[in-house]
Amino acid sequence: MSARAKRFLLLVLAAALLIVSGQVQKSMNRDRVQLGLTIGEPLQNAPPMLAFTTVALGGFRGLISNMLWIRANDLQMDDKYFEAAQLADWITDLEPHFAQVWNFQAWNMAYNISVKFKENAPGDYSDRWRWVQRGIELLRDSGLRYNPDEISIYQNLSWFFQHKIGQNLDDGNLYYKRQWAEAMTPFFGTGGTNFDNLIHPQTAGERTNAMVLREKYKIDPVFAQKVDAQYGPFDWRLPEAHAIYWAALGLKMAEENPVKAKADDLLTLRRVVYQSTLQAFHHGRIISNPFTKGVELAPNLDLASKANDVYLGSMNADLENSNHISAAHRNFLRDVVYFLYENNRMTEAAKWFKYLGDKYPDMRIVDNDPNSLPKNLTLDEYAVAVVQIDIGETSQERVTSAVQGLLTHAYIDLAIGQDDRAAGFQLLAEKVHANYQAKMGRDQPRAALPPMNDLKRTVLNMLLDTQQGLPFAARAALRTQLRMPAETNTPPVVATNTSSAMATNVLETVSTNSAPPVLP
Amino acid sequence: MQRIIAIAWLTWKAALRFRLFLVIAVLLLAAVVGLPVMIKDDGTARGFTQILLTYTLSAITGLLGLSTLWLSCGTLARDIEECQIQVVATKPIARWQIWLGKWLGIVILNAALLAISGACVFGLLQWRAAHLPAAEQKILREQVLVARGLARPQSVDAQINAQTKQVLEERLKSSPDLAGSADLPEVEKQIREQVKAIYQIVPPGYSRQWRIDLSSQMNSLRDRPLQLRIKFNSAGGGTGRTFAGFWQVGDAQKMEPWQSESMSLSSDTFHEFQVPANLLDDKGVLAIAFLNPNDTSLLFPVEDGVEVLYPEGGFALNFARGLGIIFCWMALLAAIGLMAASFLTFPVAAFFSMAVLAVVLSSGTLADTVASGSVGVGNDEKGIPGHSPADMVLIPVFKGILVIVNLAKGFSPIDSLSGGLAITWGELGAAFGQIVLLLGGIIGIIGIVLFSRRELATAQGNQ
Repeated sequence: MSARAKRFLLLVLAAALLIVSGQVQKSMNRDRVQLGLTIGEPLQNAPPMLAFTTVALGGFRGLISNMLWIRANDLQMDDKYFEAAQLADWITDLEPHFAQVWNFQAWNMAYNISVKFKENAPGDYSDRWRWVQRGIELLRDSGLRYNPDEISIYQNLSWFFQHKIGQNLDDGNLYYKRQWAEAMTPFFGTGGTNFDNLIHPQTAGERTNAMVLREKYKIDPVFAQKVDAQYGPFDWRLPEAHAIYWAALGLKMAEENPVKAKADDLLTLRRVVYQSTLQAFHHGRIISNPFTKGVELAPNLDLASKANDVYLGSMNADLENSNHISAAHRNFLRDVVYFLYENNRMTEAAKWFKYLGDKYPDMRIVDNDPNSLPKNLTLDEYAVAVVQIDIGETSQERVTSAVQGLLTHAYIDLAIGQDDRAAGFQLLAEKVHANYQAKMGRDQPRAALPPMNDLKRTVLNMLLDTQQGLPFAARAALRTQLRMPAETNTPPVVATNTSSAMATNVLETVSTNSAPPVLP
Repeated sequence: MQRIIAIAWLTWKAALRFRLFLVIAVLLLAAVVGLPVMIKDDGTARGFTQILLTYTLSAITGLLGLSTLWLSCGTLARDIEECQIQVVATKPIARWQIWLGKWLGIVILNAALLAISGACVFGLLQWRAAHLPAAEQKILREQVLVARGLARPQSVDAQINAQTKQVLEERLKSSPDLAGSADLPEVEKQIREQVKAIYQIVPPGYSRQWRIDLSSQMNSLRDRPLQLRIKFNSAGGGTGRTFAGFWQVGDAQKMEPWQSESMSLSSDTFHEFQVPANLLDDKGVLAIAFLNPNDTSLLFPVEDGVEVLYPEGGFALNFARGLGIIFCWMALLAAIGLMAASFLTFPVAAFFSMAVLAVVLSSGTLADTVASGSVGVGNDEKGIPGHSPADMVLIPVFKGILVIVNLAKGFSPIDSLSGGLAITWGELGAAFGQIVLLLGGIIGIIGIVLFSRRELATAQGNQ
């Protein structure tokens, strides 16, 4: 046999042996786990470079990881963060099965490093947001890739959405929410609930969308829809829905891998679910303001029933902490009643008010008022009391300011087409005004509030002011809603509103006590 | 001199013959070109440039440093071991000339390699910067690809020392027992911190003013905006808390000052923000005031709490000066390697040189030990210092090592370049004086003496 043929045969043999050893490797890895031959499980889904590094470095991995960790810590102490992402990448690559390493590095980026950056311009927290994203990506894209059944990673990921983005403890939280909503809108649509196009995409664009959601954001639309059906309906442009998604996925993984699930982790995941549901109830709806091009968050009142179920379920599942959860549940029910009232959904408000009374008949529902048992208060009294807790019921200035604030909300909601909310705010303003006058105004005329119509006129004039008021388009919409004449360059004189049940004439510049146009 | 140059040329020829120059040049270029592809940055052009500068210059320093040690050990030790030196030494050339010639050859080789790789880094940075959007370019040119001078308020150390001394004397009068006590240094330290706090703290609802003298740059700073770099600490809140702050720059009695909006700032970190031009008063002093609207005190360290960064020069010259300091390090490493090879065999010399390098790199640990006052382990939680019988010997030795190491390590061109801070000609001159002339000179003299006294023919027996 010639030397060339021999070399060729050897090469073929080497290739064949390589392929066979690759096949044997799989069963060997399985045996390693089953027979308990190794503490660490073989690395799954790792790119070749990472797989090679982890094997080639052997026991030195820990040493190098420690050195990198020390460097990262030193640099952080010196406020040098530009290397942080790279060092975190290397450290986690060296210890890919050590969940705490992933969790720490992600937390460090999302919490400790992000806040080191200041506001770039008013309302612009892009530098902070970049680090929050880095933390999320580290867990979602890499941590879970190598540790798909590690519950603590799901727990941290869901917490980032619930706490870092969802809550308002970071000055940049509104910026984060806006960025996340902008990122999610192409997938979930302007209503935030577009599952059909993601699950059954028809067009090329929809297929691309579904693929990007799966590949980039690691969100399975089928599971997301299941979560939405179980706990929702949510607006999936908001972080709470994603907090619940990752927590629910963590709970599912825990069910499938009970060995990996620790009691504390499960408890935390359940807490994320019910706390995020409560958050979504409080501010889980996006209202676009077409005039300012901005968005506002409003309560997602449709969640009341599901959120209630989640609370009841959590109390049953976590008997040890059921007292704490029931206290949270009571607070939630009080909010449900108030928010429904505020949004003029009186029937539902009355239903939940009764439920609150039935469920917690012996517990007061107004803070600092020992007599405020549910049986002692009407729905109206309760709603007014909630407002007055915040403003202090004996302060003339603060009550005036609060009533004006409620009226401002009412007119702005009217301008942007939120008629129910507008009516709710107006009603609440009137109740607060009436309640104060009943208590203070009669006994102490010097402390009486201005007449309600005067307050309305003041607020309306302020909002319709061409220099300091709402944007032109919003003023026009408000005038249309109130059936006032269109704005002219000359000062408006008199407008008549005859259609509204509560309508009276309005004077913008003439000082009389006649009432301004009000909500239809 | 001609003889020294002849030896230097021979060293060059050897480096070229063994393709050392080519290999190192390729490795350096691979590092410069390959690193940008491999590294993961923070997502900003500024961050990318900073990490690129740091990693490429560190890689160049590391590769060049190791090859310098290797080459300097090898070129002399192997010449001795392989008896080639006997051919040279029998020529009319002094031993010190051979030694200096080899050092000069290595140093010139380093200069060439540093120039090539430095030019590549510089070109890469400029090329990338030119392809960025205008806004990113602006940030880059203002904060990284620039040489910014740094000015601080006048030092208050003298006042702190005087007041500390005064308070301590009063304390000793009221508690005479303290004079002989072992706690005296700790008491003095605490008093100093209390006095220092007076100059640092801004209580809730109060403001503090700093004045920074920029009179020497007054003319060059006309119509040029400045950067304010601030840092504060706070006892209140966790790591995630941020604090509001209002800044006013410019003397309100002499001009219309610049006032910031409320800023959301975190503690324990540097924040940089731009302030408009022409806020210096007629004497070139910049008045800076901070109002603390928070419910907790904020502490601006006297060392680096409030600083002004001002444009001082271009990046190109700054970069060249930075490379100049790296070059000084290489010259020192060449001297260390040659000194080791002057009396040791090649492997031992290489090991010795690496050991010296390890000591230099672990100087942080030595500094920590010196600061704690003992090589023993104490209890930080209870405030009990460590103690060891070896302290009497080791601590002074560590102090001595640190003094020597800091002569070379006290310069940080890579940090300065990545932070956009100016490396002055004075700094470069100091680096040359301390690293090349002083340390390199001492090591060179030792190496020359050892080499001159060595019996070269005895190495023949090892072959």
